[in-house]
Amino acid sequence: MTQEELISLQVTKAVDARGTACPGPLLEAKKAIGTIKPGDIMEVLSADEGTKVDIPKWCAKQGHEYLGTIEGSGYFRIFMKKH
Amino acid sequence: MEPKKMCLGLFSGSVDKLTAAGIILSGAVADDMKVDIYVLLQGARAFRKDIGDNSEKLQMAENPNLKAEFLESLKTLKVKTWVEFFRECKTISDVKIHICGLAGKIWGAEKLDDFIDIADDICGIGAYITATQEADVNLFI
Repeated sequence: MTQEELISLQVTKAVDARGTACPGPLLEAKKAIGTIKPGDIMEVLSADEGTKVDIPKWCAKQGHEYLGTIEGSGYFRIFMKKH
Repeated sequence: MEPKKMCLGLFSGSVDKLTAAGIILSGAVADDMKVDIYVLLQGARAFRKDIGDNSEKLQMAENPNLKAEFLESLKTLKVKTWVEFFRECKTISDVKIHICGLAGKIWGAEKLDDFIDIADDICGIGAYITATQEADVNLFI
C-alpha cells in the first residue's frame, strides 16, 4: 500500500505503544487484536525500532495481513488487517 | 492446528537472566505458543514469595557491577519486572510454571504456597524431561 492509502485507512483500533520498549508493542498488539473482528484494521504506534520488523513477521505467522508502515515524527505507524 | 510448544528450563535466579526469560516468554505467547517453564536450582530461590521481583535480593549473572545501571535503564524504558512479564504472559497464552521440588527444598521452600502465586505446581525431573521430549522448542536459561 502507498503511504497515502495507509493514511486514508479506516482504523478500527489504534494501539499506542509509544511508551514501551520491546516486547511491549508486540504484547500490546497481541492483546488488542483479540478485541477486533476479522477484516478490521488495526494500527500500532511504536517508537521502538525493533517493532517495525517484529510486527510484520508476527502478522505473517498469525495469518494477519500486514499493510505497511508510515515512518516519521519519531515513531512508526504500523497497519494490519485481522485475519 | 495444535499450538507449538516451548519448554524453558529456568536455572538462573539472576535479575538479568530472569528479565531475558520474561522477554523471550513474551515473544512466545505473542505467537500463541504453549509454554512450560521448569524452575530449577537457582531459579527456585527467585520464585520464593519473599524474593520475587525484589531486585535488592537478586544478583546479576553478567557484569554485577552494572546492576544499578541495568535496573535504572529498565525503569527509564518502562520495561516490566520479570514477575510482571511472567504474570502478563500467563493471561495471554497457556503458560505453566513448575517448580523443581528439590530446588525448593534447597532454598527452604517446600509447598506451592511458599512461592509467588504465578507458580502452578511442584514437580520432579521426570516431568521436565518428558516436556523437553514433547516440545518444539527447548531453551535453557
